[in-house]
Amino acid sequence: MNNATRYDIVIIGGGIMGSTVAYYSAKKGRKVLVVEKNDQATGSAGATDGVVGYHTKKPGVHMDLAVQSIALFSGLSEELGQNIEYVDNCGGMIPVENEEQWEIMEQIGKEQSASGVDIHMIGIKEAIKYEPQLNPKLPGCLYTSSGGKVHPIFMTFAFASAAKRLGAVFMNETEVTGVIKDGDKAIGVNTSKGDFYGDKVVISAGSWSASVGEMAGVPVPIRPRKGQILITEPVGPFLDCTVQCAQYYMIKHRPDAIKDEYILRTGASLSFGQTDDGALTIGATRELVGFDRENTLESFEAVARRVVKFFPALRNVHVIRSFAGLRPYTPDGLPMIGRVDSVRGLYIAAGHEGDGIALAPITGKLLAEQMVDGEASFNLEPFSPNRFAHSDVH
Amino acid sequence: MPDNNLIICRCREVTRQDVLDAIADGATTVSGVKRRSTAGMGLCQGKTCERLISRIIAEETGRNPADILPQKSRMPVRPIKLSVIGGADDE
Repeated sequence: MNNATRYDIVIIGGGIMGSTVAYYSAKKGRKVLVVEKNDQATGSAGATDGVVGYHTKKPGVHMDLAVQSIALFSGLSEELGQNIEYVDNCGGMIPVENEEQWEIMEQIGKEQSASGVDIHMIGIKEAIKYEPQLNPKLPGCLYTSSGGKVHPIFMTFAFASAAKRLGAVFMNETEVTGVIKDGDKAIGVNTSKGDFYGDKVVISAGSWSASVGEMAGVPVPIRPRKGQILITEPVGPFLDCTVQCAQYYMIKHRPDAIKDEYILRTGASLSFGQTDDGALTIGATRELVGFDRENTLESFEAVARRVVKFFPALRNVHVIRSFAGLRPYTPDGLPMIGRVDSVRGLYIAAGHEGDGIALAPITGKLLAEQMVDGEASFNLEPFSPNRFAHSDVH
Repeated sequence: MPDNNLIICRCREVTRQDVLDAIADGATTVSGVKRRSTAGMGLCQGKTCERLISRIIAEETGRNPADILPQKSRMPVRPIKLSVIGGADDE
């Protein structure tokens, strides 16, 4: 075996997850190879908004993990040596449309508070103090002054570049075709550019992780869930918070409370923010339609309707582009982070669905700790890939 | 020698040097340059700079210009008001 092709850690997938895992592993002195079939930020991170919020998380372990992750964002631009346009404490808001949504979000806010975050319902008068453009006819919203937003593409490249400076090797346009095993241990990968060996192998292939899992003989029940987003022309300062409508939250974490079949199928709802350069990002949908990444007029219309309903002042703002990304969806809404029991040396960091940007730093950090130190500094058990060990992927 | 301070993407004020830096970082497609430099993300959505970027990638990487992937076309082709699609009032 040639030394040049031997690494401590081989990472499959060089997107936001692969890049953070590479960075935190290289920071611990490990020799890292990242194999990416396309390029950085061509999967989910290149086609999303930059919400780094607590308010969109499921109460409990998901929220606890978000609190840990968001703490890492402050100072990340300096640490990585590149501006990722992180805005700290821009606030997060979940406006409700009726009494029923108010009650649901009030209850969720109470449960989320258990993670130590100040989050509570406010009436429309107070909401308008924070976001003057919000439709005054709405009843109010779930609000937190904490949480932030980031440029997801810059963030991905910043992690990748910082990892490279620490010695990590990124091989782009290189497709993994097999996971090499020695008995029950993963020892490397076959790729379109040859075989590479490592003591540990990580699957961080986002929405494409299921097929990589199959190569390793491990069930990875991750499916692509399409999210469509609109981008407007740059406008002056319009919005500080990241804003998600209650329907958006319910589609994610309380689908049982949604009656409308169309909404259930497309997940059409509002996730809204403004970037550093003034563009507005208006999403989103959640569609289980395979690997299709086309935009549809139906969703364009549904999302445009929603934003005009919540922010009527936007009716004359121009949309300049739409895009669609695939969010890696897991059956229980929680990511897969950690070691795989059935194949020694194999690890997974994937399945964060719409929370990959917010949860990427903590995922990379904790997985690096588990791989290098043997144990992570935060309990990864709820996110263990082994919870799906006996599931049928097909 | 081309002037590397030349603006390639006017909407986002991206220079030839920025494009070269993106290629040096591994970009091999128009979209790869776009994600690294933001060229083509502005109001005109790359209508002018796309061809220029494609040509620079070909020159720098030695790839056949015909093999360099353009960015994906997405709706709307021209800027369109939200109200045209999403209704004019707040219901």
